[in-house]
Amino acid sequence: MAVTAVAAPSAKIAVQKGLVPASFVLAGALASLVGMSWDIQWHDDVGPDTFFTLPHLLMYSGSAFAGLASLFVVLTTTANTKRGKAVDPIVGGRAVGVLGRTFAAPVGYLISGSGAALFLMYGLWDQVWHSIYGFDAVIDSPPHIGLLLSVSITMVGTVMVFAVARDRRWGVNGLVVAAATLLMFSMVTVLGLRALPDGLVDAITVGSGFLAVAVLFAGAHVLNRRGAALAIGAVVAAVQTVLWFFSPWAAEVYADAMGLPLRDYLEGYPGMPSMIPMSLILVAVVVEVLRAAPPWVPGLVGGAVIAALAPVQNSLVQGSGFPGADKFLVTVVVGAAFGALAGMLGHRFGQMMRHLAPEKENRHA
Amino acid sequence: MRKTLLGLAGTVALLLGLATPSLAFEPVNVVHTEKVQAGPYDLTIGFSTWPLKAMQSLDFTFAPQDGIAGKKGTLELVLGEEVVEDDPLARHPRQLEVWGLDIAALPEPGTWTMRFAIDGPAGPGTGELTGLRVLEQPGPPLGLSWAVSTIPLFGLIALIVVAWRRTRTPVLD
Repeated sequence: MAVTAVAAPSAKIAVQKGLVPASFVLAGALASLVGMSWDIQWHDDVGPDTFFTLPHLLMYSGSAFAGLASLFVVLTTTANTKRGKAVDPIVGGRAVGVLGRTFAAPVGYLISGSGAALFLMYGLWDQVWHSIYGFDAVIDSPPHIGLLLSVSITMVGTVMVFAVARDRRWGVNGLVVAAATLLMFSMVTVLGLRALPDGLVDAITVGSGFLAVAVLFAGAHVLNRRGAALAIGAVVAAVQTVLWFFSPWAAEVYADAMGLPLRDYLEGYPGMPSMIPMSLILVAVVVEVLRAAPPWVPGLVGGAVIAALAPVQNSLVQGSGFPGADKFLVTVVVGAAFGALAGMLGHRFGQMMRHLAPEKENRHA
Repeated sequence: MRKTLLGLAGTVALLLGLATPSLAFEPVNVVHTEKVQAGPYDLTIGFSTWPLKAMQSLDFTFAPQDGIAGKKGTLELVLGEEVVEDDPLARHPRQLEVWGLDIAALPEPGTWTMRFAIDGPAGPGTGELTGLRVLEQPGPPLGLSWAVSTIPLFGLIALIVVAWRRTRTPVLD
């Protein structure tokens, strides 16, 4: 009896190994995403800003949370390696030496932690920028793009952490949510392309399509099972819907709590959720239907679909005018070409992440 | 586990405590003013930094002499012949008794015009602030700022190149 009582919980812990730190980095990534959506809405609908607004803190604590969890795993792995204890690669993948062999870092947590460390450095760069250019709220300023890229790296690390555990249910579910989070967040990061000169191609639309297709393919190929792309697309649609209502609501409730009025002329649509292509679910269906085709084929179709439907979404949601026929057509053609490239690259990224998992015969049952 | 939960609860409490409604926002600090006559309305335009520099954000205030109650209007920001912005005049979020633009920047150097159209109890009126000089952007060249800011992207590309070379064979489940 006593033996049974002791053995049961330890067996349960062994099955769940790796889940806790992975959940922490995923929670951090989600906090960054929700904080970003709320913060954009705050600036759109209310305005007054300090570093210490709740949406800002949520966004920053997301990176801090993911960074501390990553640091904890790296330090624990380092300690275990130095003591000669076996390190289970289910926790973030194989450990690699950092700074010679000073640290032993599971590669997934090394990437997620590096993103969080970069985020801190770009926070300082942002302070320098504000001291030169004033306390602006420009989403696509160079240091803000540096911050967004740093968060994206943390999110890439999060996807890798779950990719390692792709034969566990929590690994599959976590990977779908992590890939969806990275995909949605990338739709803000891509605004950095506004720095390119305006021309016949809508760079934001093409860039959104490229990143969406690449992440969708990468996530789907890591799992390499029917329905994976559709699951990522469905999670994106679900989170987009939640943020669509949450962001304006949270901005208004927080403004009420602060005794601040809303702006006189509101945009009337949620800022960040409206950047996410609603056509993604169609693209996910295309990926599923054309599963047997070379990746560039569904990629091409996906890039074209996103580029073609972006003006429709912008018109319906934001009331934007349609681009001229020449700009529309060139953007769709370039979007299709970049989509094809994204399909191939995303598929290859998926293959890379499949290498993170140890050989099956060496893994826990 | 209990320690972890307590730690998390403490962190959340600290975050909420720091962000209570007692947060104070910076007041609008006007350091320079200009006058515009828009029909029957005397308009004072306030700037929180002076002189203006491209891309440098500041607070603009637009204050009719007898207040904004019962009035509405539009503001066009014009560079040369191009209308860069065309928006209704809205209350400044941190100085609600006047219209304004909060932490806004004029993107390009050059000579700008602010064109006002105001409608109120005394009827409609238009007016312009012409010859608004905006100097070159401060700080390092923009290319350098972008180079510094995109280091994570190039780091990610380097990681992909290394991973690409090491993972040429497919992994089967």
